[in-house]
Amino acid sequence: MSDYLPILVFALLAAALPLATILIARALQSRKPNPAKLEPYECGIEATTFALDTRFSVRYFLIAVLFVVFDVETIFLFPWAVMFNRLGLFGLIEMLIFLTILVIGYFYVWKRKALDWA
Amino acid sequence: MTITINHFLVVSFLLFSIGLLGVLVRRNFLTVLMSVELMLNAVNLNLIAFSRRLSDLTGQVFSVFVITIAAGEAAIGLALTISLFRQRRTLNVEDANTMQG
Amino acid sequence: MTGAQAVPGALLTGAAGWLFVIFAVLALGMAIAVVVARNPIHSALFLLSSFLLVACIFILQQAEFVGAVQILVYAGGIMVLFLFVIMLVHQRGVRERLTFQHQWDVALLFVLAFLLPFLYVLWTERFPDLPQNLDAFRTVRGKIAGNTQAVAWVLYRDYLLPFEVASVFLLVAMIGAVVLGKRSAEKVD
Repeated sequence: MSDYLPILVFALLAAALPLATILIARALQSRKPNPAKLEPYECGIEATTFALDTRFSVRYFLIAVLFVVFDVETIFLFPWAVMFNRLGLFGLIEMLIFLTILVIGYFYVWKRKALDWA
Repeated sequence: MTITINHFLVVSFLLFSIGLLGVLVRRNFLTVLMSVELMLNAVNLNLIAFSRRLSDLTGQVFSVFVITIAAGEAAIGLALTISLFRQRRTLNVEDANTMQG
Repeated sequence: MTGAQAVPGALLTGAAGWLFVIFAVLALGMAIAVVVARNPIHSALFLLSSFLLVACIFILQQAEFVGAVQILVYAGGIMVLFLFVIMLVHQRGVRERLTFQHQWDVALLFVLAFLLPFLYVLWTERFPDLPQNLDAFRTVRGKIAGNTQAVAWVLYRDYLLPFEVASVFLLVAMIGAVVLGKRSAEKVD
């Protein structure tokens, strides 16, 4: 259990740092709220609707999906790498099959031009 | 405090029920997906508890597979959410009531 | 966690038991908040804390590797994906209507349908008192290694087929998401 003490200290520090930043900023800032400041700039005309545009492109989502899939792949790679010496050739072939299947998907994504940004 | 397998079963049952209620009661597509993730997490909790109880690693291995399934499910579910939003401008599950695009 | 053998069938004792209670209560509270919150961003953040607390329970249960995977995949991957989609989709112009559907009766019926057999099993089933062996979670072929090594040994030796099927599953998820996402990208551009 005591092995986790450094992690606890680290987690507390990680939580304290942004909290401290926010609190210090709040203490130091000058605040003069004004309704005009909250309006979007629209050439003097009062805003009537909210913008319904797409704020992010769906392409970002595709990148995020690929990230998650390869994240999970890494999860399987990690214990294999740790035990690589013991698993030997059997493990190597096993992992090559695993990776080949995923690389097929990667080439599909590439051919579909899901990674193109133009 | 002494914890037995029954405590684990109660916790994972409650977690599963909360997820089930979320799936059935919420309208927002995203919240429904999050509730499914809660249910999968409850299953993992059970797998780990029984793995510990039986001193067998199989439960741990299978919870890794369950996490894999959860990742794939989130990817497809969220892609569907985006498709639904593009077509209908809504996230309400009740508006997704026709089969053709 | 040395006194685990004192009570038969005890998984955690003493301070570790109380830690479990704290983690479990907080995780359940966060789970309720996920379902109740109106703003999906709040839901996502509550879900994240629930995942982290469950990961802490995993670590208490000698499943360090699964706990780390839970944090890496859920907190690092799935939550990023969720927040991405919320940012992509959650626009002020689209008014959120009633957040709950009127399905409470069906929902409670379902939960009751699960509750009754659960209580029956909990009351009648007596799990056998097996000797508990904490070394089972970190032993590879009789030698003490680590939890990750032990999981790897079982995963790549005994569960070869599920492991390869997992890659096919990931392939399907990747292709499915790209097909669905690409189509909606083309619709806009």
